[in-house]
Amino acid sequence: MSLHVAGAGWVTPLGGGVDEVWNRLLRGDEATTQTVSFGENHKSYSGFLVPNNALKNLPPHPRLRRASAISRFAAAAGLDAIAQAESKTSKIDMDRVALVFAASNGGVIYTKRFYDDIVKSGAQSASPLFFPETVFNAPASHLAAILGINGASYTIVGDGAVGILAMNMARDLLESEWIDFCLVVAAEEADWVLCDAYRKWRLVKTQPPIEPFCNPSRGTILSEGAGAVLLGREGSVKVSSINDGGNFSHQQEATNLIDRILHDLRSEPAFIIASANGTFVDFAERTAIQKQMPTSMVYSLKPALGESVGASAIWQVIIAAQALGKKRLPPMLHACERSGLQFATTSSHIGSNAIVLSCGLNQQAAGLRLSV
Amino acid sequence: MATFNALSETTGQVRVAVVATGVVSPLGFGLEETLNALRKATDCVTPVAGFDVTRCRCKTAAQISDQRLLGRHRNGRKNGRLHRAAHMMITALEQLSGQDSEFKPELSVIGTTSGGMSFGQDYYRALHRQRNLRRSPEWVANYPPQKPVLDAQDAFGISAPCRVIANACASGTNAVGHAFECVRSGKYQRVLTGGYDALSELVFVGFDCLQAATPEKCRPFDRDRSGMVLGEGAAVLALENFESARRRGARILAEIIGYGISTDNHHLTQPDPSGNGPRRAMEQALQSARITANEVDYINAHGTATPFNDAAEGKAITELFKDVPVSSTKSMIGHSLGAAGAIEAVVCLLALRAQFLPPNINFRNLDPNLALKIVANQSRKAKIDIALSNSFGFGGTNASILIRNAPA
Repeated sequence: MSLHVAGAGWVTPLGGGVDEVWNRLLRGDEATTQTVSFGENHKSYSGFLVPNNALKNLPPHPRLRRASAISRFAAAAGLDAIAQAESKTSKIDMDRVALVFAASNGGVIYTKRFYDDIVKSGAQSASPLFFPETVFNAPASHLAAILGINGASYTIVGDGAVGILAMNMARDLLESEWIDFCLVVAAEEADWVLCDAYRKWRLVKTQPPIEPFCNPSRGTILSEGAGAVLLGREGSVKVSSINDGGNFSHQQEATNLIDRILHDLRSEPAFIIASANGTFVDFAERTAIQKQMPTSMVYSLKPALGESVGASAIWQVIIAAQALGKKRLPPMLHACERSGLQFATTSSHIGSNAIVLSCGLNQQAAGLRLSV
Repeated sequence: MATFNALSETTGQVRVAVVATGVVSPLGFGLEETLNALRKATDCVTPVAGFDVTRCRCKTAAQISDQRLLGRHRNGRKNGRLHRAAHMMITALEQLSGQDSEFKPELSVIGTTSGGMSFGQDYYRALHRQRNLRRSPEWVANYPPQKPVLDAQDAFGISAPCRVIANACASGTNAVGHAFECVRSGKYQRVLTGGYDALSELVFVGFDCLQAATPEKCRPFDRDRSGMVLGEGAAVLALENFESARRRGARILAEIIGYGISTDNHHLTQPDPSGNGPRRAMEQALQSARITANEVDYINAHGTATPFNDAAEGKAITELFKDVPVSSTKSMIGHSLGAAGAIEAVVCLLALRAQFLPPNINFRNLDPNLALKIVANQSRKAKIDIALSNSFGFGGTNASILIRNAPA
């Protein structure tokens, strides 16, 4: 079965709309961080947050009235992907669309608010309004209701690689003759509690920029948003191979796993959209790229958009698809010049193949190849 | 030696065998303990021990003893840092590996609802008190929902990529169903599937504040039902291409023959009262297996005992099936959320192999709006060849699987 990207949408800290954000990335723009704080007694962090205007096209819908930020991001990105596909083809029959929603941390803002009431005031203070929004599949439920999807809807969870795993799951679902399209949406929302948790995990730095491929790694900055790709059997960009990689027990093992994934995906020259984010991931990717595809052009969107964890891999897929279509890559920002890698510039030559590498922060890694 | 058809005679598609399984639940550890407890209609619901419930309406749950669960696994020094859910998964996987040590999955598909939630709670409580944050890196690292699965895989040297499905209370059945489809498509030969969830304060209080949990006994499909009781556990099933399993001489415990999934967009937490969503999932499972409703011998219902769920599910079953015995084993073991569908698949497998109907305990009077043949209060012998297992969840997600007894 042939798998293609039929439409895409995203909500990012640089705004919404595929072309709008793409053009800003080409200009070398990077999102501005905002201070993420929690009371007076706790340390503040920087986060790349979604500006309000990125959701300006989100239609009013009863399901979104009290929905969490992650649900709104997912809805906006998903609707954009459908709209983009419908602008090129006929109207899509939602009875024949499956939904795969991917996330890593899920609805952390409402989860924190819900549990905060329990901790501070006791169980009798818990809000029945917040609890349903803490469930991982709440965004998928809202999006399915808005779009009228009433068949297969899955939420899958994992680390930063979950977007690629979701695309592989979509490929499996599209084996069914009853499904024409699979909408893959990945989303994440940023909150102080996440910043603090990842900081305690020694992965997050307090101030920008994110500097990929530096040695030693200097830390990442969390961001939020959503990415959506509508996968079908036709489209200008082909998903020619998906490697759902595997798992690594220790950070040191990530290098071998990324190396194996890249080896399996490297059949032709390609540029690489890496997941390098200023953490141990960078070393794993740099080592594997130097071994397997040392002359390939490398780009990471993390300095511009931040580390959105569950949403990041789908953002990378959208970047790769855009680059293949437009024959250009945005300039790589803040990368370590002495890394030995070939970083993208606005004048980089782009071939007809792209590899998306995704090494998550919590033991999963995967990759895929796109072509035109 | 018996002969087997590699392709199903009814669907013409690849057959999917269950070659090994493992289960840990309040009923017990392993198939034998679980079977015995099911036959005895054991009520596993006890006062909650792990956290304070004095301000909750519901004060009970079906729980697994920490004394038995913890500190018995092979992960060495890492053992002490693992989440309870990881211990459950390791326990279940240990049983599975003991039954079929040659089973090497290419993929694992596991369901959960709350992942390592209690570690998130520990972290947040420590943060609130501004002390005891020494353990926070391990809480944070072990909180994500894929971690218990990866820890369990790691303990047994399984490196298969892992899809963790979080479709609320339908997660376990969705996982088994999706794994079934992966094998049936011919793309995978062996897939590890299952589900897990450990009891946590946040989820307990969540269901309590929605008034979905009951302070009384859990009475699915009863006229006087008043809500669910939470549970916990894990179950794993080794699914394999039937022909591949037969060739290597694996013991075939059962066959998964059909799967249905639907989404009803009625409400985030309430089922469509028409029962349309559950009905579509069950119909699709029957179509997938290419059998008729008359061929189903037993239904393990989702049966949470909430007024809305049982009404919608009961209506759908009543419309589709005639006189098929129905029970909700959640009456015994509570609702283990993401694990429920996987545990109930194992319950169905045991029912098929031991030829008995698991009971729906605490049952007094059938809801007069339902025409169901409830397996009331006691297990009983029966000839059953095909069982249907239902799971429905928040978000309007509905899943049904069909399991057939292995050929003699």
